[in-house]
Amino acid sequence: MIFSSELIKGTLKTIVLKLLADNKKMYGYEITQKVKELTNSKIEITEGALYPTLHALEADGLVITELEYIGKRVRKHYKLTPTGKSKTKEKVSELVEFMNTMKIILDINLQTA
Amino acid sequence: MYHLSNNQVDFILDDIKKRGIQIESLQQNLLDHVCCMLENEMKPDDDFEKIYSITIQKFYKNELYEIEQETNYLLTFKNFYFMKKVLILSGIAAATSFVLGSIFKIMHWPGSLALYMMAMSVSSFLFLPLLFLIKNKELKNLQEKLVLASGIIVGMLYCTAVVGRIVQLEFAKNGILWLIYIGFAFFVFVPLYFFTGIRKPEMKINTIVVTLLFIIFISSQFLMVNLQPLLGGLWHINK
Repeated sequence: MIFSSELIKGTLKTIVLKLLADNKKMYGYEITQKVKELTNSKIEITEGALYPTLHALEADGLVITELEYIGKRVRKHYKLTPTGKSKTKEKVSELVEFMNTMKIILDINLQTA
Repeated sequence: MYHLSNNQVDFILDDIKKRGIQIESLQQNLLDHVCCMLENEMKPDDDFEKIYSITIQKFYKNELYEIEQETNYLLTFKNFYFMKKVLILSGIAAATSFVLGSIFKIMHWPGSLALYMMAMSVSSFLFLPLLFLIKNKELKNLQEKLVLASGIIVGMLYCTAVVGRIVQLEFAKNGILWLIYIGFAFFVFVPLYFFTGIRKPEMKINTIVVTLLFIIFISSQFLMVNLQPLLGGLWHINK
């Protein structure tokens, strides 16, 4: 089963931040591949969602970029800033809390159904 | 692993630019991403242009510049919640100033003019523009956006006309600004509002009632306009 883009959209920032926290620095293509590998292709991050999110994270000062020149192209490696590191912890615990709450709601619905 | 030549990299970059990606940083991101995909997926005897056109289509639903639109959208509205808070606060400030100004006026206390001025200025230059930015984002339909835009213009014209009268601005003195506001509201905003709302079955009655209220309100405002200074010349000739 592949999860719908609506579900992924709300958690994309958290996924990217957590991956960067675990891997020090990553570039766009690497992030999409890593997510695919970790989730057995259940979550596929599209380029159309990833890059706008990375730009927003950069504008918020949560990530910085390091440039690597490969022939005629430039590869941008994304790294967490100190603010980004604390924000990652905050976002991950928020998501855990959310998942626990969802579990409660769904259990209740299952019982009443 | 396939290795892309400099010409192929240039070709991809040109194509990304031609497809409407203007932010340089985003061009670099997409270029590297496409190159990585091609280098990992292409075989030496594959047709480069054919594989490229298949690969780039995976990046979007309709057009590639959707990615740039989404980026701009996220960058513009990263302060969305802050904007909403300012909207609410400015609305409260404008309403409070208006009510206080009215009380001051009834009691003949000094300062009612300043309070009216503040209410109208905050509404016109902070509350209404912010309301437009926030609501416009939520609306998908072009006609609804036009109704919103014309409504905001009516609101701004109304506030400016009131402020103009209070401080006796030259261009507002003879009532021309009032007439512009009333004319725009009556001939642009009301028809747009009516014909947009009437098409939706669930909004039909609501639209008719609100349109009638608008017409009554605008007509009563028109009755308050002293036409004599505007039609002075004509008046004189007729006499």
